[in-house]
Amino acid sequence: MKPLMEIKNLTTRFHTQDGTVNAVNGISYTLDHGEILGVVGESGCGKSVHALSIMRLIQIPPGEISAGEVIFDGRDLLKLSEKEIRSVRGREIAMVFQDPMSSLNPVYTVGFQISEALILHKNMNKRQAKERTIELLDLVGIPEAGSRFNCYPHQFSGGMRQRAMIAMALSCEPKLLIADEPTTALDVTIQAQIINLVIGLQQELGMSVMWITHDLGIVAEMVHRINVMYAGSIIERGLVDDIYNNTLHPYTMGLLGSLPSIDEAPGKKLISIPGLPPDLIDLPPGCPFFARCTYREERCAKELQELENGPEEGHSVACWRWREIQKMGVS
Amino acid sequence: MTEKTPVLDDLTDFAVREHRSLWLDAWRRLISNRTAMIGLIVVAIFVLSAVSAHFFWKYDAKMDLDYGAKLVAPVLRVSEESPEIHIFGTDKLGRDIFRRVVHGGWNSLRVGLVAVTISLTIGGILGLLAGFFESTDLNRLEQSLLMAGIGLSLGALPAWIARQPIQSLLFALLGVASVSTPAFLENKSRLRRLVFGIIGLLIGALSGIFVGPMVALVCGVLGLGIGLLLAKPVGGKVFSNIVMRIMDIILSFPSYLLAIAIVAFLGPGLEKGMIAIGVVGIPIYARLARSAVLSVTQKEYVLAAQSVGEGHGRILFKHIVPNILSPIIVQATMGLANAILSAAALGFLGLGAIPPEPEWGAMLGDSYKYLSSGAWWAVLFPGLAIMFSVLGFNLLGDGLRDALDPKMRV
Amino acid sequence: MGRYILRRLFSVIPTLIGVTLVIFLFQRLIPGDPAVAMLGEHATTENVARIREQFGLDKPAFLDRDALAEGDLSGFFDSQYVRYFGRLLQFDLGDSIHRRIPIAETLQERFPATVELALLAMAISLTIGIPIGILSAARRNSILDGTTMVGSLIGVSVPIFWLGIMEIMLFAVILKWLPSGGRLSSGVVIEPITNLLLLDSLLTGNWAGFTDALKHIIMPAVALATIPTAIITRMTRSSMLDVLQEDYIRTASAKGLAEGIVLFRHALKNAFLPVITIIGIQVGSLLAGAVLTETIFSWPGIGKWVYDSILGRDYPIVQGVTLLIAIIFLLVNLLVDLSYALIDPRISYE
Repeated sequence: MKPLMEIKNLTTRFHTQDGTVNAVNGISYTLDHGEILGVVGESGCGKSVHALSIMRLIQIPPGEISAGEVIFDGRDLLKLSEKEIRSVRGREIAMVFQDPMSSLNPVYTVGFQISEALILHKNMNKRQAKERTIELLDLVGIPEAGSRFNCYPHQFSGGMRQRAMIAMALSCEPKLLIADEPTTALDVTIQAQIINLVIGLQQELGMSVMWITHDLGIVAEMVHRINVMYAGSIIERGLVDDIYNNTLHPYTMGLLGSLPSIDEAPGKKLISIPGLPPDLIDLPPGCPFFARCTYREERCAKELQELENGPEEGHSVACWRWREIQKMGVS
Repeated sequence: MTEKTPVLDDLTDFAVREHRSLWLDAWRRLISNRTAMIGLIVVAIFVLSAVSAHFFWKYDAKMDLDYGAKLVAPVLRVSEESPEIHIFGTDKLGRDIFRRVVHGGWNSLRVGLVAVTISLTIGGILGLLAGFFESTDLNRLEQSLLMAGIGLSLGALPAWIARQPIQSLLFALLGVASVSTPAFLENKSRLRRLVFGIIGLLIGALSGIFVGPMVALVCGVLGLGIGLLLAKPVGGKVFSNIVMRIMDIILSFPSYLLAIAIVAFLGPGLEKGMIAIGVVGIPIYARLARSAVLSVTQKEYVLAAQSVGEGHGRILFKHIVPNILSPIIVQATMGLANAILSAAALGFLGLGAIPPEPEWGAMLGDSYKYLSSGAWWAVLFPGLAIMFSVLGFNLLGDGLRDALDPKMRV
Repeated sequence: MGRYILRRLFSVIPTLIGVTLVIFLFQRLIPGDPAVAMLGEHATTENVARIREQFGLDKPAFLDRDALAEGDLSGFFDSQYVRYFGRLLQFDLGDSIHRRIPIAETLQERFPATVELALLAMAISLTIGIPIGILSAARRNSILDGTTMVGSLIGVSVPIFWLGIMEIMLFAVILKWLPSGGRLSSGVVIEPITNLLLLDSLLTGNWAGFTDALKHIIMPAVALATIPTAIITRMTRSSMLDVLQEDYIRTASAKGLAEGIVLFRHALKNAFLPVITIIGIQVGSLLAGAVLTETIFSWPGIGKWVYDSILGRDYPIVQGVTLLIAIIFLLVNLLVDLSYALIDPRISYE
C-alpha cells in the first residue's frame, strides 16, 4: 500500500543577519497510513522546523524551503497554491503545539476556537459546530464539556488546555496529526494522560501520528518507528525495537546511554555526550556529529554518509563505521 | 563503549561562536539601519551648525536691524536692488533669516538638552526608586526613613496649625519608633494601633494646648489619626503609590497647557521655557523607569543577587540601572525632539525666547501675519528648520529602539 | 461590573482633588495681585480692598489657623480654597474677571467648537491610522511598511502651527479654494441644536450650511489630526507586530484560516489594548493642541480662550477651563481602563 506521506530531500533554511541557518538538510523518509512515527532529537536539530515545513507554516522571509518534495496523499504540498494548502491545514493535516497556554488565543472562548475549524472546513453552521465541539471536548476527556464550551483558555488547567488543543486538531478528522512536543510543558502525571489519550484516539480513528520529542523515554512505548535527527539530518531510522535493541549510530547510543534506567544499579553514572551541537550557520562538511563522536575518523570529517540500510528491514543509519562499531560488540 | 578518544590535531570546536557584547551588537544594527543613519547625519548637521554658529559666527540680536531691507525675498546673488545676499530672505525688521535660523538652532538645542536632562534626572530617579521599592522588601534603614518621612509630612499639618514645628519632628520620631517597636508589641496589631494612636493624640493635644483649647482639640484629633496610620510600618508599595499618584496628577494636564501655565507663572524667557518643558516631561520618564524596573526585578538575576545578600545600592547600580538604560535612551532621543517642538510652540505663542533673540517658533509667530502679503520665505524656512531637526532626532530615536530591542536578537 | 465602575470612579476622586489643588495653587502663585490686575495699577487702596473682600481674596488660602487659635472652629475652615471648592460642587465656575460674564456660560458657547474639531481630528486619525497600521504589520518591510514608518515619523516631527500656516498658504492664499479662518462664512446660518455645526446642518437638512462648515473645518482638523494619526499608526503597527509573533497566531494559521481572518479576528483584538491606551492619551493632547490650531485658524473654541486668559491673568477662566479639560481627560482614561476589561477576558471585574 502506498505510504500516506513521502518526503524527499526536504531542505529548509533561514536567512539571518549573521548568516544562513541550515535548519533542515535534505531529509527523506516515508510515513504510512495509521503509523505512529516518533521524531527524536535535541533542541535545534530541525525536528520542529521540518514539521512546520510540511505544513508550510514557515515564515517566508527570513525562511525558505529551498528544495525537496512533500508528497501527501498524491500531491506535492510544496507546490500547492496558498488557497490549496489552506484547505490541507486543519483538515488533512493538523498540528498540536508545545505550549497550550500560548497556543490558544486568550481573548476567545475555547469552544469558539474549536468551532472555527469546523465551520471553515466542514461547512457547519454555528449550532452544528457547537454540538460537534462539545462532543469532541467530551472525547478528549474534558469533564462537563457543555459548560466548558464558553470558558476562556486561562480558566483551564495545563492538561485540559492541551486536551482542548487535541480536540481542535482532531475536529476535522485529519489523516495526519503532528504533535510537536505536546507534553514537554506539562507535569509528568499529565504527560502520561495525554500520551494515553493520543494513543487511544489513534486506535479509534486510525489516523497517522507524528510525535516530535527530545525525550526518548516517551517514544519507547508508543510509536511504531523512530527517526533520529541531528543538526538537520536524519542519522538513524527504524522500528522502535530495532533502534533500542540494536542501536547503530553513535549519537543514538549516546542518547540511550544518557537515559537513567530502573534496571540498572543505582549509583551508575549517566553517560553524557561531550561537546555542543554544531553551529547551523557554519555547518562543517561531512558528518555533523563529527566533533563529539567517539568513533570518528578522517573520512567522517570530509564526507557525509547517506542513509544506508542496516541489518534489519527498514532500519537505516548514516554512518561510515557502523559495521565496525557493531563488531566491537557495543550495545 | 570505549573510553579512548582518538586525538586529531586541528580539532576546532565548531560549536563555539564568537562572544559578542550587547552594545557592539546594537551599534552594528544601528549602522546598518538606513533611516537611523539619515537621522544621525541630520542630527550631526544640526548640532554642528548650531554649535559652530554660536562660537564662531557672532550675532548680536539687538543690533540686527535693517529697515531698508524689510521683507526681501530670497536673494542668491548680489545685484543692484539688493546689495547683500539673503539665502532665506529677510523678515519684517530686515534681518537675514538664514543667520537667524542658524542661531536659532543653538537656542533650540539648548532648550532640548536642558529640558530632557531635567525630565530624565528627576523622573528617572523617581521612577527607579518607585519601581525598585515596589518590588523589593525594604531594609531597616529604608523603612525608618520612609516612616520618618511620612510622619514628618503628615505631622506638618498640626504643626502648621499650632505654629509648632516641633510637632512635625515628634511625629517623624513616632514613625521611626514604629519600625523599631519593642518585641512585646510585635504581633498584637490592635494593641499597637491603640498605643500609637494614643501617643499621637497626646503629642497633638499637649502641644496644642499652649495655643488654645480648640487648637488642642483639632491637633489632638489629627494626632490620633496620624498615630493610627503610623502604627504599622508600610511597605515600599506605599512609596511607589504616592509617587505615581503625583505623576498621575501632573499627567492629567495636557502637556502644552501645563507648559504654558508654568511659563506664565515663571515669566518669559528661554530658560523658564526649559524648566517648564522639563517639568512637564517628568512623569513620562518616571513611568518608563518604573515599568522598566518592574520588568527587570522579576528576572532571576536580581532575585539571585538578593538571595546572596547584595545590598540595595549595589543591586540598583550593578543590575538594574544598566538594564533599564535602553528604553530611557530611546525616550530621551524622542524627548529631545519633542522638547524642540514644544519650545517652538511656546515661542510661537510668544512665551519663549524674549525678542529679539532668534528662536524658530518666535520667528514663525512674528511672520505669519505677513503671509497674505506674500512673504512665504519668512514662514517656510524657520518651519523647515524645526521639522528637519525634530525629524532627525525622531529617526535616530527610532533606529536606536530597533537596535537596542533585545527581541530582535536572533 | 457596576461595582468595578464605582470603585474606579472613587479612585479617581483623590486625583481630581489633587488637580483642583494644583490649579488653585497655580493661580495663587502667579505674581501680581489679581485685584490690582483687575482694576489697573492706578486704583485706590480702598477700591483694591473692596475688590479683595468681594472676591474673598483677603481670606487665607487653605485654613485659617488664627481663627482656630481664637477658638473659632468654623472660621478655621473658611478659606479661599474651601470657598472655591464649595462653588465647584455647585458647578459654579465663577465669573470672568475682565468681562463679568459667568464662565460656565462662555464655556457652553465655545466648548462645542473645540469638541467638533477634536472629534473630527480623532475620526480622521482612527480611519487612517488603524488600517494602515494593520497592513504595515502584515506586510513587514515592504514598500508600504517603509513608507508608513517614514511618513509617521514625519508626522510627529511637523509642528502643528507650521503645518496650519502652510495649509493656509497653499489652500487659502495661493489656490483660494478654502477660507483661511473662522467656523462659517458671514451670512451663513445653521440652526444650533448641538452646536456641532456639521451635525446640526445635517440634522436640519441644510446642505449649503454643511458644505460651508466643512470647508472651514477641514484644514484645522487635518492639521490637528497629523500627530495623532502618526502615533496611532505606529502603535497599531508595533502592537500588531508583537501579536503576530505569538503562538496562537501560528495555531490559527495551522487550522487553515485565511490571512485576513487571522489578522482581523485573531490578531487585532489582542493588539488593540495598547492602541486604546494611546487613543486615550491622544484625546488629551487633541484638546490641548487645539490651542495652537485655534490661534492660527481663528477658531472660536476654548483653546484660544484659555491662552488669552493666561496672558491676561483672568484666572477664573484658566482655572475653570483647565479643570474641565483635566476632568475630561480623567474620564477618558477611565473609559479606556474599562474597555480593557471588555476586550481582554483575563482582566476580571473584581
